[in-house]
Amino acid sequence: MAEQEELVNLTIDGQPVSVPKGSLIWAAAQKLGIEIPIYCYHPKMDPLGACRMCFVEVEKMPKLATACTTTVAEGMVVSTTSAKVKKGRAGTLEFLLINHPLDCPICDKGGECDLQDFTLRYGPGGSRFDLNKRHFEKPIPVSENILLDRERCIACQRCVRFTQTVAMENGLVMEQRGFRIEVGVDPAAPFDSIFSGNVVEMCPVGALTAKNYRFVTRPWELKKTPSVCGNCSVGCNVRVDVRVDKVLRQYSRTNDAIDDGWLCDRGRWDLDWINDTERLRTPLIRRDGQLQPVSWDEALRFVAERLRAVRDQRGARAIGGIGSTHTTNEEAYLFQKLLRAGLGTNNVDHAHGRFPATEPGALPWAWSDSIAGLEQASHIVLLGADPYHRQPIVDLRIRKAIRAGARVYVVTPEANRLDRLVAGVIRYTAGHTGTLARALLNIITSDGLARGEQGAQRAADRRASVAQETPERAAQVAGVDADALRELAREIAGAKGAVILYDEAATLEPSGATLAADVLDLALITGNFGKPGAGAGPLLADNNSLGARDMGLLPDTLPGYRPVGDAAAHAALGGAWLATLPAEPGLSYTEMLSGGVKALYVMGANPARDATPEQLAALDALDFLVVQDLTLTETAQRATVVLPAVAYTEKDGSFTNTERCVQLVRRAMQPLGGAKADWEILVGVARALGLGWTYLSPAEILSEIGRTVPLYAGVTRRSLGAEGVRWPFAPGERTPEGRATITGSPSITWQMLAEGVARAQKPGGELIAPRGRGE
Amino acid sequence: MADSVDTITTENKTLPLGPYPRFVTRNMDVPGIDRIEVYREHGGYAALAKALQSFQPEQLVEEVKQSGLRGRGGAGFATGMKWSFLPPTSPKPRYLIVNCDESEPGTFKDRMIMELNPHMLVEGVIIGSYATKVHHAFIYVRGELAFAGRQVERAVREAYAAGLIGKNILGSGYDLEITVSRGAGAYICGEESALMESLEGRRGYPRLKPPFPAVVGLYGGPTVINNTETISTLPAIVEHGAAVYGAYGTEKSKGTRIYCLSGHVNRPGNYELPLGTPLRTLVEDFGGGMRGGKQLKAIIPGGSSVPFLLPNQLDTPMDFESMAAAGTMLGSGGVIVLDEDTCIVGAVLRMTEFYRDESCGKCTPCREGTFWLVQLLERLEHGGGKESDIDLLNDICDNMLGKCFCPLGDAATSSIMSSIKLFRDEYIHHVRAHACLVGPGATRAHAASVTPVSAR
Repeated sequence: MAEQEELVNLTIDGQPVSVPKGSLIWAAAQKLGIEIPIYCYHPKMDPLGACRMCFVEVEKMPKLATACTTTVAEGMVVSTTSAKVKKGRAGTLEFLLINHPLDCPICDKGGECDLQDFTLRYGPGGSRFDLNKRHFEKPIPVSENILLDRERCIACQRCVRFTQTVAMENGLVMEQRGFRIEVGVDPAAPFDSIFSGNVVEMCPVGALTAKNYRFVTRPWELKKTPSVCGNCSVGCNVRVDVRVDKVLRQYSRTNDAIDDGWLCDRGRWDLDWINDTERLRTPLIRRDGQLQPVSWDEALRFVAERLRAVRDQRGARAIGGIGSTHTTNEEAYLFQKLLRAGLGTNNVDHAHGRFPATEPGALPWAWSDSIAGLEQASHIVLLGADPYHRQPIVDLRIRKAIRAGARVYVVTPEANRLDRLVAGVIRYTAGHTGTLARALLNIITSDGLARGEQGAQRAADRRASVAQETPERAAQVAGVDADALRELAREIAGAKGAVILYDEAATLEPSGATLAADVLDLALITGNFGKPGAGAGPLLADNNSLGARDMGLLPDTLPGYRPVGDAAAHAALGGAWLATLPAEPGLSYTEMLSGGVKALYVMGANPARDATPEQLAALDALDFLVVQDLTLTETAQRATVVLPAVAYTEKDGSFTNTERCVQLVRRAMQPLGGAKADWEILVGVARALGLGWTYLSPAEILSEIGRTVPLYAGVTRRSLGAEGVRWPFAPGERTPEGRATITGSPSITWQMLAEGVARAQKPGGELIAPRGRGE
Repeated sequence: MADSVDTITTENKTLPLGPYPRFVTRNMDVPGIDRIEVYREHGGYAALAKALQSFQPEQLVEEVKQSGLRGRGGAGFATGMKWSFLPPTSPKPRYLIVNCDESEPGTFKDRMIMELNPHMLVEGVIIGSYATKVHHAFIYVRGELAFAGRQVERAVREAYAAGLIGKNILGSGYDLEITVSRGAGAYICGEESALMESLEGRRGYPRLKPPFPAVVGLYGGPTVINNTETISTLPAIVEHGAAVYGAYGTEKSKGTRIYCLSGHVNRPGNYELPLGTPLRTLVEDFGGGMRGGKQLKAIIPGGSSVPFLLPNQLDTPMDFESMAAAGTMLGSGGVIVLDEDTCIVGAVLRMTEFYRDESCGKCTPCREGTFWLVQLLERLEHGGGKESDIDLLNDICDNMLGKCFCPLGDAATSSIMSSIKLFRDEYIHHVRAHACLVGPGATRAHAASVTPVSAR
């Protein structure tokens, strides 16, 4: 810890406890494991003091104190069990229950309801209210997905405060006053936020329910598994709630470093694809032009035979593999291992943005800071990025940064949900994100806005390359306001700490070929690098976009970004894999789809969906196409063999999110009968090919990754813990809070990471395993 | 100085302005006093000139402390002391707010000041702002008082036009802006922190304290918030001096205040009397005694939020300490007189309905408790109650008292708990006879014939 926090000592129910100055009594009790019931208070929002449930008795205070609003003081003596406290809490519960319906048996919240639970623990046994309860029309919709039962509402205002102060979307309001008070929708601002589902989760009673969950199950029938969301690249921590064979919802599993306790509606509810009745339950082989069901044995044998035949007849270079940004690290690793070590080709790639390394070994796709670091930024620039729609929980963290005073600039072609909250909005013609980045570099290098010696050097290096890219030219081709760009450049250059984020998709625009490196240079030249709340990076597309790269689903790099031609890496990996690895780079994704290969192995990808007519023709002209997927995708429909795979909720593994955090995914349900996890299928194919693969579990594969990939050195399932670990793992690369950051280097290279690992070696040569947070 | 203080606080004190001086109500009956010309003809804004010329702000604070002026809104907190809680410096601007959200049932003094003599209020605001080094003051007028609001708005306009508000007031170099804001009709906005929420454009919910307004108030700045009458007293204190003002009243409750006399008396109205004047003087001498020669049954001496007094307590002096000793509060000065024909349960029901309707709904005990209390009182009043309801009322009050977020919930319990204590027999009569003990409800059994309020 950088600074010693000032601690305050107090006792609660006779137990001494020390907590940081300014803590609430509630938090101190939490630390002791003493429950103080709360309704209106939520640890992620300011205290309100409305529900009057958290009464405690504090010595020398004449009245009962509310634990959620009272800060601790030295020597404070608190009781949570005195007769006065018991009467106060029972009184509050009696008040809450006078108008609360006794419909627990048909209420979706029953079984996980704070009102039910606290009434059992702190409530009066009965009610003295013998009059008529209030009745309302029930339920009424507050949004497309959420319904409100006003009778059940206890007016804790959690939902309203969330929409107003956390999401800053102003959807819900309190209407009327006194006993007539109720939650309503702001007539001027419909409740259509992508964060809306959080209010359902926060509602302590069954007042707000999700339409897709109503009357579907009871909470005690659910199997609840801690895992990670498989939707976008943020990697929010979730609890997967499964009933028998269906995923019914995901709830937030607070990880302050990533999701801050929130979850977006996509992550929460967009799970129908897992429960899809059209999912494949058996392998298929094309016979007589039709895909026909076959046994796994037959399918695996057939795949091996055909792959071997192509390799024997046309050579290993005629085989290619397209991997996935959705499958686990373990599966991505095995996939490229199968192609490289098993089949002898570097023809392996996946659909991804353009991140060409402009200097040897640089990793421009690595976000140099972190999601949590956004809170410390003085400036945040979104360059062609729309996190609200694509990485929603990053958008929510940006809103938190705005509340902390960050100046945010939204530089996007389209209107953005953040527009009304930010310091500046710049619009331009779609497709020109790269043009803007280079115009910013032009301003910075020609107006002398570089900071520091390193920045000045880099500015000198780049000046010529962007000399023609003036803001005026950008104005001409991209329809952007040149003066606005100049102002933005000055803001970035003068920032205490600026984070510049762009969307992975922007690198695929015609102008985006060097966007990644240009944005990195922008940060480096202006000194916005290597300190908290500063940096640059892409917002990647999918849950394991970064993991796919890390694991070497690229034609020119081995796992951990070592070039395929690197002799040392060859020797090390080849030794570990007991194989001779091809040294020349393989074919890229587009090359493979342009007739470069005769046999194509597709795992968890659907290239046919976005393919050009020429690419479709090339797919159809393949000798052999094998597809592993959940359903009969556009690509699978063209396949020779289709192997049914399972979703992330049905298998163990790990994902790496857009800010380099490697996190555990846990099996939350039985895999669909007849389908197998991608890693199991790969092992089956390898064994059919005669390779001696003996992996029995993803844990075993991850341990091998920990041994063979320096970037992931020492990783095991155990070391990832409950909240994951961010690379680089070397102890020297951590902030005082224990967060891993990439600091002190103008660029990030795998050599640097390897050196970090070397530094982390114990004298005996044994690697120090990465530490999970909180360990 | 010490001697003179002694002489004016002894029993046989010399009273410089006669026994019943009019500090706050002076000139109130002069025709046209609400216009700046007339107000100035009668010496208006002379106190302001004196304050700006002869006093440094600190001296003015000291003068107000010396005068013994205490808040007239209800709590009776020493005004000078409140001002001195403002931090000497702060990064954010400081504000003065005049709480003109007078809504306490039985209280109508601030309304009279605003409607009849708004310039006295405005003059007080400028003096108070100067004393507290505030450069932007807000006058928050209760929404329902439309005429009062227009009067104050016009007075502020006139004062601006006369150079009494704005830049360099009367050549003193002191700048002040005054904004008049109208509420939207909520009793809770008389609570200072809810008032600030409302001023800032949000729902009138009381805020968490601490931080107190003097530290973090309006728009996050240090804020002093005073009642209309308190602020309107400032010109008189400056004009006559703290010693003259302090010569009236008792040792701890100095000066005069306006008592709002209402109920079953012959001459209801606003009376400015020195603090410590016995209730009997107000009711019998100024109020002309009981209407129709009826017997006195009970008095609510400080607005509907305080406990009842009985006829045998009529000689209680009306100052903060004596009222507290008698088990009630001086409150807002709203003296409500009830005669022998008043059904206590009915009166309490009516008052409790007010709190139910005005509860902001933020905290559970107040929101649900006031609702439940009304339901029980309603059925008792209409003859359908049970004897156990009486103790239940008391216990509900106990579950509210000291447990609500702000004082509104506590206030709702006063009349109930005190009436059950003093008039339990009358409650029991309602249960047993299914009728009121006195008044129109006593002659017919209403249980069957009267529609409960909740069903209307």
